[in-house]
Amino acid sequence: MRSLQEYEAIVGPAVLNQLGQLAANLQGLKVVHVNSTKAGGGVAEILSWMIPFMQELGIDASWEVVEGDKPFFTTTKLFHNGLQGNQVNLTSRNTSAYEKTSRANAKRLRPILELADIVIIHDPQPAMLLHLCPNRRGKWIWRCHIDASRPNRQVWKYLRPYIEHYDASIFSMAEFSRTLPHPRFLVAPSIDPLSEKNVELSEREISETFSKFNLDPDRPILVQISRYDRFKDPLGVIYGYRLLKRFSPVQLVLAGGGADDDPEGAKVLKEVKEAAKDDPDIHILLLPSDAHRTINALQRCADIVVQKSTREGFGLTVTEGLWKGKPVIGGYVGGILLQVINHHTGFLVNSPEGMAQRVRYLLGHPEMMLTMGEKGREFVRENFLLTRHLREYLTLMTGLRRGFSDRLIATG
Amino acid sequence: MATRTTEESESSQQDKVTAFQIKDCALIVRITDQLPAINLRELRERIMSCSDDSLYHHFCETVIRPSFDDPEFHNDFAIWARHSLHDHVLAERLEIIDPYSFPNMEELRKEVLDILADRLSEIYFIPWALHEKAFYFHTATTVVFDTNQTIDTPKQLKEAIANMTTSSLYYHFWESRRRTPSRKDDFSVWLEEWNDRGEALIEAFSGIDFYFMNLRELQSKLCATVENILGR
Repeated sequence: MRSLQEYEAIVGPAVLNQLGQLAANLQGLKVVHVNSTKAGGGVAEILSWMIPFMQELGIDASWEVVEGDKPFFTTTKLFHNGLQGNQVNLTSRNTSAYEKTSRANAKRLRPILELADIVIIHDPQPAMLLHLCPNRRGKWIWRCHIDASRPNRQVWKYLRPYIEHYDASIFSMAEFSRTLPHPRFLVAPSIDPLSEKNVELSEREISETFSKFNLDPDRPILVQISRYDRFKDPLGVIYGYRLLKRFSPVQLVLAGGGADDDPEGAKVLKEVKEAAKDDPDIHILLLPSDAHRTINALQRCADIVVQKSTREGFGLTVTEGLWKGKPVIGGYVGGILLQVINHHTGFLVNSPEGMAQRVRYLLGHPEMMLTMGEKGREFVRENFLLTRHLREYLTLMTGLRRGFSDRLIATG
Repeated sequence: MATRTTEESESSQQDKVTAFQIKDCALIVRITDQLPAINLRELRERIMSCSDDSLYHHFCETVIRPSFDDPEFHNDFAIWARHSLHDHVLAERLEIIDPYSFPNMEELRKEVLDILADRLSEIYFIPWALHEKAFYFHTATTVVFDTNQTIDTPKQLKEAIANMTTSSLYYHFWESRRRTPSRKDDFSVWLEEWNDRGEALIEAFSGIDFYFMNLRELQSKLCATVENILGR
């Protein structure tokens, strides 16, 4: 378990002091986070550092997980897909399974949740708990980690009555939010610079990665890390690579995981393999979900990180690439727009042709790649590390306790 | 009678002046209930009715919230006009607005609305943004907290400013203009208590064109100014 102090070398002492000063007025505050899994997925990843860091700062933080059977999780998967705008068919059997399991969870968790000063419910899986805790005394926040801007109407119609009674909600970007009758706050996600996915690696480990995946360190390497999903446009990336190949002996790595249990993912992966044909310079890697260190090493092997999505959430793979000092060529969508600043940290593109043209330009200007890489890393250091994420939660909790009527809230 | 040294004079003055309390702040951004604007006409309508806090946020808090360190534009309306409406003329007209030159938010609002109305009268079609590039109105709550650090004399200003976080600097140099009756930075308000020892610094600080600097640039500028006037 890491301590906050270990981040001082990365963010500086002032940032850690700020956290301590903000938390001074939150000592002993009972904060409970609830999500649907202890391991796997971005939310669990965030909570696994946030809970101990809040505790280290003197907050009585804890983490509860809703338990459920297969019908419950099938339904919450429908919610997840539906909130993101996919066509789903929510049946009464689904909603019964959700309500039954939510009631069982409420029975188990009520003593903890009703006593808490602040309850933070992550995503739709535990959303009904508020409705089932009538004696709650604290403030309840719904933290939506997904793009809920254009949800499936059936799913939203079902969930909205549960969500609108929260005291506040948090979205990653304004563009991902829904209109709700309570304050909606913005907290962007973050990366942990000391996690396996982002920690500094030795030259030896990076060099071993070149060998392991048969990559030539003397020729340019483009890396896109993402699951095999049409919105990540892997076929467009291959097309862009082929346009580039006329001018540069470039190599392409497409690496992602999780296609085995995802029929659509498996189909996309098959198409990607067909598109790559037998080109030895296209490396299609199917990685296990815990291959964080391998992903880290591949991003460090890259000359340029690509994230040519046509639809994207926040795009943490972009943050990771920037943190590793790489220029990023990103699609002109979602959270990529907040991170890839044209001519500063990389280039935003709208087509495979655009991608090819920008990569070609950068490969011809290696000094610009270095400058962009340095700027990108500093940009992430200032804005997208977990210390900023934690600071915004502390700020929000202070506001919730003192009321948001005043624009300025003095503490201490 | 022996001449008193600067140190002696500063020390005697120090007994009378309250120490400067260094504070820091953090922001949490909130989406307002206003509908997002998708074209120039809607932007004008929304600005007519948005809150002062929201207007302030889009003009003045851009410097502190997560954003790129070297922005081409300094307020959100100019950024949106340039990158979402692709109206370069409008972006330039909005960019040159210095919100601190207006006595209050209402006057600033009038100026922005005038610029938008002029632009609407000049063009033959209403510029639209893509659906995903709509303009969302935000506001922010600023939480202020003590750092438990103080500045006792003007001579200590340089080192104190050099070690401040950017959010602390924002609070004392930018935000103070909205908070204090004299609409000055907190350092100048404090320096007034130092009579003639503070005058030169106050004058120099008032001459800094801070709005077009990022907070790191401002930090360097303030340190250099203190050093120029008070020496190393």
